[in-house]
Amino acid sequence: MNAGVPHTPRDELADATAHGEVYLRRLRQAQLALSITALITFGALVGILPIALYLLPALQRAELFDVPLPIWLLIVPLSPLFLVIAVLYARRADALDESFRELVRRR
Amino acid sequence: MIAIVAVAGVTFGTLGLGVWGMRFARSTSDLLVASRAVTPWWNAAAISGEYLSAASFLGVAGLELKLGVSALWQAVGFTAGYLALLLFVAAPLRRFGSYTIPDFVEARLRSVRLRSLASGIVLLIGVFYLVPQLKGAGISLGVVTGAPYWVGVAIVGGVVAVNVGLGGMRGITYVQAFQFWLKVFAIAVPACMLLVHFDGLPGQATIFHNEFPHAGSHGLRITLGARQQVEFPTAAHYTINGNARVAAAGHTVTLATGHLYLAPETAVPVATGTDALRGSDWSRPVWNNGESTPLFVYSLLLATFLGTMGLPHILVRFYTNPDGRAARHTTVRVIGLLGIFYAFPAVYGALGRVFTPQLLITGETDTVVLRLPQAAWPGVVGEALGAIVAAGAFAAFLSTSSGLLVSIAGTLSHDVWPSIAREAPTTVATRRRRFRLAATAGMLVPVGLAFWAQGVDIAVLVGWAFVIAASTFCPTFLLGIWWTRLTARGAAWGMIAGATVATGAIFLDLALGEPGGVGGALLAQPAVISVPIAFATMIGVSLRAGEHPRVEAEMLALHAPEGLGFDEREHVPFPLGSSSRPTLGASDLGLP
Repeated sequence: MNAGVPHTPRDELADATAHGEVYLRRLRQAQLALSITALITFGALVGILPIALYLLPALQRAELFDVPLPIWLLIVPLSPLFLVIAVLYARRADALDESFRELVRRR
Repeated sequence: MIAIVAVAGVTFGTLGLGVWGMRFARSTSDLLVASRAVTPWWNAAAISGEYLSAASFLGVAGLELKLGVSALWQAVGFTAGYLALLLFVAAPLRRFGSYTIPDFVEARLRSVRLRSLASGIVLLIGVFYLVPQLKGAGISLGVVTGAPYWVGVAIVGGVVAVNVGLGGMRGITYVQAFQFWLKVFAIAVPACMLLVHFDGLPGQATIFHNEFPHAGSHGLRITLGARQQVEFPTAAHYTINGNARVAAAGHTVTLATGHLYLAPETAVPVATGTDALRGSDWSRPVWNNGESTPLFVYSLLLATFLGTMGLPHILVRFYTNPDGRAARHTTVRVIGLLGIFYAFPAVYGALGRVFTPQLLITGETDTVVLRLPQAAWPGVVGEALGAIVAAGAFAAFLSTSSGLLVSIAGTLSHDVWPSIAREAPTTVATRRRRFRLAATAGMLVPVGLAFWAQGVDIAVLVGWAFVIAASTFCPTFLLGIWWTRLTARGAAWGMIAGATVATGAIFLDLALGEPGGVGGALLAQPAVISVPIAFATMIGVSLRAGEHPRVEAEMLALHAPEGLGFDEREHVPFPLGSSSRPTLGASDLGLP
């Protein structure tokens, strides 16, 4: 846009020039890809549970401390699983942001 | 008696802390800066404290007692919703600097009319969510003091309206965080003590195996306050007001008002509309019955997973995070904290089958958490445990209702009033007076609806709010944050379509008397249809516009990490010139 003005990635971003848009779009797409990966992991692990319990009624006869196994599966492992996905996701998302910062600050 | 003291203590303690805390906060030089000092742990506890409502505290266990273990999917979805919020919304929304949904849609899509539509949906969700809180208050005060249902509704409605009007409680992160731990304590301690007392779950056959809930070895005596239509699962001898009767298995009988006595070990009759379930069926998380079918379970999970991000009172809380990164880390902690809480309601629903089977006769299953401790452990210990859960329940009503009413009143005074009066409020005093009037007016409709909704399960009522949020604000956020081509027109039609299909299905289900079956499941829990329709409409209408909207500035504000000098105030296109209204200030929302 402004010929003669030094164009660091940061300036370009601020000006929303074509290049700046490319940098930001890459970050956005990387973040979205990460979120969707986490979503698919969640969907695969949690989404399978209702149909598995439905198709395998025999699980009901397996008991742990006198409580049927499906009830344990419903109450105990899911929250820690969400937490693990959340922690891993947050770490990766922060790292993506950080590498973007590096890119923009360079020069 | 202990319970009355505990409930009064929680209620007035919360109000007092809130008012005192507000004074304290006002004396600091910069309220916003002060709020930035809040750490993610405090913030996470505050968000969780605001989130755990009557539905979590009473509703999940009540629905579990009534329908079976399948009700626990709701708790799974309540937690999972924060994962969706974390993955797609938390950090970008914080960076964007909008902390109400109408603010977001106006700034992102540059449309004042869209803002009005979003405000309308905020009111719809707020009312749907507030009604079950008031219902919870009505039945809880009834359990604690014996007061009629309407008294509790009116008292809590009034207390919350006054509280919000005075600006108390809401803004204080520490009060909400304290409320969270109070609720965890109140649900966990009685549950653990009961499990230790009985050395595990007593009544295995009733809970997990072949038996129906039944009268104990001394029979069951209850007083029916109203005529009650019930179905006997097995042949039974009973007396009503001293007259001996016999019912055949499967018979539907209308029990007269008065004293009912069931012979020892008789399977209890259940209120019509509910199925009498043997333990072996009751304890199955997914099977071919009513609200336990796979379709219903998946639809429920979808609604709660996607609906959480659209709850107005929760999003506002994210504003107290200093930046996008902190918003992420707060959300991670919320998931951990909610996981602790939701381990416990299941205990109450299960023990309820053994110790409070009379709730299945009267249909008052939503009170199981409150009644269980004393029924299971007669004497002072049971009474003390009952007082603890009652205090926790009131903490739940107060915190959630206050948050909701702040959102409702903020929307009424900031969006609805100016568009009717055609003038923007000029002075701070005018705005504050309007906010107070709006807080009063905003409570009247939910109170009225709560009188009517006495017979509807708390968890079901809250489920509707989630479906509407998932069918309107969820697609708006996901597409608005991650897709550059969303247009205001697309978002508007998508929200209208989603809201229409979702509310239409729910009311049709009620009008048809909850028909059940595959179609009935889709009407009662329409997310699996309404959410895709909302997404498809938004995308389709936006693409038809042809031209690509220029949204670089918005995308920069949403996605650029902090620390690069793109301060939100420079880059959020706010206000856009299209709107002459002053932006909703933090003080309007009662934020610190």
